[in-house]
Amino acid sequence: MHTLSAIEIRDRFLRGEVSAVAIVRHFLDRIEKYDEEVGAFLSVYADSSLQHAAQLDAKRKAGMPLGKLAGIPIALKDNIHLKGQISTCGSKFLTNYVAPFNSTVTDLILKEDGIIIGKTNMDEFAMGSSTENSALKKTCNPWNLKCSPGGSSGGSASAVAARMVPLALGSDTGGSIRQPASFCGITGFKPTYGRVSRYGLVAFGSSLDQIGPFAANVSDAALLMEVIGNHCDKDSTSLNMPAEDYLKGFDGSIKGMKIGVPWQFLEELEAEQRTLFETALGHFKELGAEIVSVDLSILKSSIAVYYILATAEASTNLARFDGVRYGVRSAKAQTLNEVYDMSREDGFGKEVKRRILLGTFVLSSGYQDAYYRKAQKVRSLIIQRYKEVFSQCDLIVMPVTPTAAFERGAIKDPVQMYFADIYTIGVNLAGLPAVSIPSGLTGDGKPFGLQIIGGQKSDVAVLHAANAFEKITQYHLAMPDLIQ
Amino acid sequence: MARIDRDVVKKLTQLSRIECNEKERDELQVDLKNILVLFEELQQVDTEGVAPCNTVLEEISNVMREDAVGETLTREEFLVNCPSIGGMVRVPTILPSGSV
Repeated sequence: MHTLSAIEIRDRFLRGEVSAVAIVRHFLDRIEKYDEEVGAFLSVYADSSLQHAAQLDAKRKAGMPLGKLAGIPIALKDNIHLKGQISTCGSKFLTNYVAPFNSTVTDLILKEDGIIIGKTNMDEFAMGSSTENSALKKTCNPWNLKCSPGGSSGGSASAVAARMVPLALGSDTGGSIRQPASFCGITGFKPTYGRVSRYGLVAFGSSLDQIGPFAANVSDAALLMEVIGNHCDKDSTSLNMPAEDYLKGFDGSIKGMKIGVPWQFLEELEAEQRTLFETALGHFKELGAEIVSVDLSILKSSIAVYYILATAEASTNLARFDGVRYGVRSAKAQTLNEVYDMSREDGFGKEVKRRILLGTFVLSSGYQDAYYRKAQKVRSLIIQRYKEVFSQCDLIVMPVTPTAAFERGAIKDPVQMYFADIYTIGVNLAGLPAVSIPSGLTGDGKPFGLQIIGGQKSDVAVLHAANAFEKITQYHLAMPDLIQ
Repeated sequence: MARIDRDVVKKLTQLSRIECNEKERDELQVDLKNILVLFEELQQVDTEGVAPCNTVLEEISNVMREDAVGETLTREEFLVNCPSIGGMVRVPTILPSGSV
């Protein structure tokens, strides 16, 4: 069953060929079988997901209408709230935090009869590119257990890659959906900023964060987008436009479409990765698209802009974790100030502390103009450049990352780790939609992803192009040896 | 370029309300210095006359809602996540006894 798409699983359930209970049992068994090695899940809701499945079976038998996600098990990254369950965000600080409400995306999934089967590991507060910053668990890449699954949504990506769940949600602040999708050989989509509600997503960089789907193919990711991509009045940055029909016209042609490649920005791409990328471009030509060269060399500044703005926003967002109203309060604290200082000392990991301090620094008096304000101005230039580029082409394609998955523990220098996001960050700075899809394997058998980027609100066009590419390449059908 | 010395790091840990021992502060000092070198590259970008970006969504500003009471957490739901006493959040004594 796990080799079927989420859409096929749902359709079989709707036709009465398989019960929702059997579907959930199947995936719970797979979690049982593979997750000890992979380490994708922080919690698995065996009882509640089976109960939910039984309710759906009863609903189907009674002939009641069922939703778009009927019977499909779905995992949530552990920074997305499910009422009554713990949301740890991969942090020691929140190991006891019970979400008092559902996130909007959770409500939307449940409304469409999706089954929440568990919550997945992540870099602490989504800060990282390898999931190694999780304070709670080690997550491995199903393609090579020595390797990182990428991050920060490494748990969701590896869960889908090992087919322990057909669909999962992640969040993407600087590449945290697309990079792990690339490392794990699956589809990961970061929607236009504002397309998916952030209500109930624990905030990291509020002007950059966006929730999006992971799936084993583009159609399944599109299906989940149809459910979660809607206006929400609890998020003041939610786009005021109705949900879109991504799957309609999915088999349309991309003939004549202009695809931009920012060659100057890709100068440092190594030979093997360059060859994989050029092969991918060849497939777009086969599909009748025209490849044009575009200039995005300004993105060389994007790492600096991002780490100034994201840390500034994080330093304010994470001020709420003071140990008073929620989170683990330090047992040593005797005074109120000690509650703050010691709870934060005990609860936060090194990367989180580093980023809070950096953010505090770039916002502090005397430095705000030189760093924060300067970065906001360069962000304006980056947005402007993308607009100019999208007047010359319909979509941009480039690799998701400079390399395939690296080994866990291989990157110790934080600055070097920040460069893992060099190709993904620009998209967040400009609020664009972008998808990561498999584009073949490297010589040592690791997946390498292709990124397709569109202008704001062109989510449909991005997914259509990804689907056209997937249809003729079939790279998405490759599965890790672990689960063969 | 800004100097990241021990005093700056100490000040930052105080502003961020994160207690740190000296060893941690020394490590953070090295990391912050290295990261600032990266940030410094931005000074070469010409931003003369460029407005700072505050949002990527140009069409959305000042979203208002009706001033009506909506759904909210009950006291019991709220207190699930913190130490409480008599239906209130419990915190250590703020004022020494006899000071009021």
